[in-house]
Amino acid sequence: MTDHKIRCVVTGLGMVSAIGNTADECWENAKAGKSGIKPATSVVTEGCYANLGAEVSAPDLDTLPGAEEMDRVSRLCVKAAGEAVRDAGLDMQKEDAGRVGVIMGSCVGGVVSIENYYRNGERAEDVTKMPISAIANMVARAYGAGGVVTNVANACAAGTISIAYACDLIRAGVGDVFIAGGADAFASVPYAGFLSLHALDALPCSPFNRCSGITLGEGSGALVIESYDHAVARGAHIICEVLGAGVSSDAHHITAPRPDGEGQMNAILRALKNSGLTPKDISYINAHGTGTAKNDEAEFLSLHTIFDAENDDLSVSSTKAMVGHCLGAAGAIEAVFTVKALTDGVVPPTVGYTDEDLVRLSERAGKIDFRPNVAREKQMTNVMSNSFAFGGNNASIVFSREAGNVTLPEKKQDVYITGLGLVLPGGNGIPAYLERAAKGEAPDSPSVMSAVGHDDFDACGLKMAFYRKLDKFSQLQAVSGMEALADAHLTVTDDNATEIGIVVGTSEGPLSTVCDFQREIVAKGNASGSAFKFPNTVYNAAGGYLSICSGIKGYNVTVTNGAQSGLSGIAYAMNIIREGQESIMLATGTDENSEIIDSLYRKLGLVSDHVHGAYANDAGFVLGDGSVSLVLESADSVKARGAAPYAKVLGYGMANAGVKFGTVSGSEEAVARAIRTACDDAGITLADVDAVIGFANGQAAVDKTEIGAYRLAFGDAKLTALPLLSVKDTVGECRAASAALSAAEAALLFSGKRGSEVKAYLANGETVQTTVVKTESLRHILAVAVAAGGAVTAVLLGRA
Amino acid sequence: MNEETKAIAERIKVLLNENLGIDADVLTDEIPLFGDEIGLDSIDSLEIIGFIDDEWGVQMTGVGKEHFYNVESLAKYVAEHR
Repeated sequence: MTDHKIRCVVTGLGMVSAIGNTADECWENAKAGKSGIKPATSVVTEGCYANLGAEVSAPDLDTLPGAEEMDRVSRLCVKAAGEAVRDAGLDMQKEDAGRVGVIMGSCVGGVVSIENYYRNGERAEDVTKMPISAIANMVARAYGAGGVVTNVANACAAGTISIAYACDLIRAGVGDVFIAGGADAFASVPYAGFLSLHALDALPCSPFNRCSGITLGEGSGALVIESYDHAVARGAHIICEVLGAGVSSDAHHITAPRPDGEGQMNAILRALKNSGLTPKDISYINAHGTGTAKNDEAEFLSLHTIFDAENDDLSVSSTKAMVGHCLGAAGAIEAVFTVKALTDGVVPPTVGYTDEDLVRLSERAGKIDFRPNVAREKQMTNVMSNSFAFGGNNASIVFSREAGNVTLPEKKQDVYITGLGLVLPGGNGIPAYLERAAKGEAPDSPSVMSAVGHDDFDACGLKMAFYRKLDKFSQLQAVSGMEALADAHLTVTDDNATEIGIVVGTSEGPLSTVCDFQREIVAKGNASGSAFKFPNTVYNAAGGYLSICSGIKGYNVTVTNGAQSGLSGIAYAMNIIREGQESIMLATGTDENSEIIDSLYRKLGLVSDHVHGAYANDAGFVLGDGSVSLVLESADSVKARGAAPYAKVLGYGMANAGVKFGTVSGSEEAVARAIRTACDDAGITLADVDAVIGFANGQAAVDKTEIGAYRLAFGDAKLTALPLLSVKDTVGECRAASAALSAAEAALLFSGKRGSEVKAYLANGETVQTTVVKTESLRHILAVAVAAGGAVTAVLLGRA
Repeated sequence: MNEETKAIAERIKVLLNENLGIDADVLTDEIPLFGDEIGLDSIDSLEIIGFIDDEWGVQMTGVGKEHFYNVESLAKYVAEHR
């Protein structure tokens, strides 16, 4: 049985969807087979072949505290999260806020605000509502969570992966309580996008039946997940257990699932294995069941292949027939339905079958009960929810009445950096970066852009038939990822493909492409969306393409919470390796600068009018971009491969200040807390930190926050002599890319490639001076980054 | 190709470069668009149909795939039907 120390339990549920404004209301309507699919009213459907949607009607969304600062997606999420918190009886006055986190999934983020921006005079107030990053921040601010706060942006699997990650963090001892789930709003970008792909059904979607397309929905699902011990200690009502999850990637196609179901089955089988269960133990599966022919055919195949031989009593249904496909919220909403099915003893139906359909279904169902039209009472012990996304991302998770047989490795694997890939302004590849850094070269202008071209693609073995489909964001990621694999001398084969995973960290993801797509449909109408561009509007497209071109089939996730995402991705990857889920992870930080991104940052007044480095006391910063990929590898794998590590990743710490989204001032205490946690995790003291590669970018508010935080963490005496290094002096504020570069820089320093001396700053009182540091004296380097909104990740690196 | 068709072909090449990311230096009149090097697929053909309609008002929905074979065949179809 699962050790009580790693048991994760659900103690609260919240939901808003087209069939209700509370979890109970949604569940009662789902059991009754009531569909929320109607002609859509929030987008223009004129001239479009499909006009249906499953929209939320909740007047209180617009009167939530702070609603004026939130996109509709955040409002949906804050509403559902609030219900879950109340349901859990969670009293934040009694909680250690630093042990409470928020992990939220989304596919399209603040697209309603993006449409508002382009329709209503390009107002600055809409800009900070655009990125997915805002969602978890809004929830954390609303309910006082100060622990790990981030968003999972894996399209239609995001909600499921969010819950899985929350459980991973609890089992790793990183937090006690998480509000996890997902949200997405019905809006013109997804509507026009799925129209362009001809993936919308003109009739209400009909999963496992007519299979002629999806119906888009919207909403949010939220679960309070906590450690069993914490729930018992506070006398919480335990709704059920969360057992294992499985995450995989297809390495096949950016929008279509593998027809052979391999990736889906890998996720399902991993979830079973991680739960300590076998196929016969599952009583009900809330299927992905989108209603597209490609998904449903692959899912029929996956379910029959895994369950037919061992399970005579499996029920399967798709609640999307009632709430539509809620994209990044889907996995979260379906998790709530799955938990309700378990605890209420009722299998919800897939609605929409005619008598003729039922005959056809019986021919395809075999012995699986696909539960058409009418709910069924059934006592269940273990239930599963599946989510399969764009980008070939698959996720499966198990909920149970019992503690299951979840185990963790007896010994946490040490984690090493064995490969680097650098795509940066001023030149790509490690030699180009080393040369520029050694010369002390600064960016050419206050807004600089990375570029990848023929030479880069050729060097990575990428053909035009592949790379022409990628937007710049995905191209940057593909090149840096492939470079890192080559630098690690790592060949992806059929034997190791599922043992390698990907974590993409990004602040704005493909926001430039989303805005471009939005501008076009504002100008030309929703029937004129580009089918070529739309697949690139999902944040996890870059991770999906990297899986396709590298052949990597393991864990695949895209995390987004501002500029610190490049380091939070490393923390995520480290957790996956320590848990024994993968032996190798590509952890990346990628963000794009473009005409659109530049204009958005200028709209916020954040781009400086001149080139400067850290501690310049300026109103803005030098805007850059790029992609930095690190190969992280377990000690066992390093040994087995005979790999030559650059450095060892010793530990990490994460915290959230919950300051106003778009700002960092006031984050000092959270930064200091993340630093202390990273030292604890690494098993060293603050006194052992020899240097910090920080987040100062020359913007006064950011730099003041940084120095203030170090003063809190280290004290004046230590700070005065603590070398502060800056990668942004060389490449600008590249957001997630510069955060990941700070860890890569530490790896290069330890490896000796950065030479014997580097420039550093010393903070002395209110002034900052430059100095020179001998690199051979460095043993422990701290990389730290903060996001607008106050999320922080600190990663400690040491010599290999 | 006559001068008119050649001019259409040149414009199609620009549109293929801008809309479908095909490198200009490989895009000749003859190279197969759905072959290994360029690798267009069904989604890309929707885009071609879209920009040809926008540019010349020529509807290519349901048109035989031989007309999508290369830039020359597309240009000839447009020239004959606009």
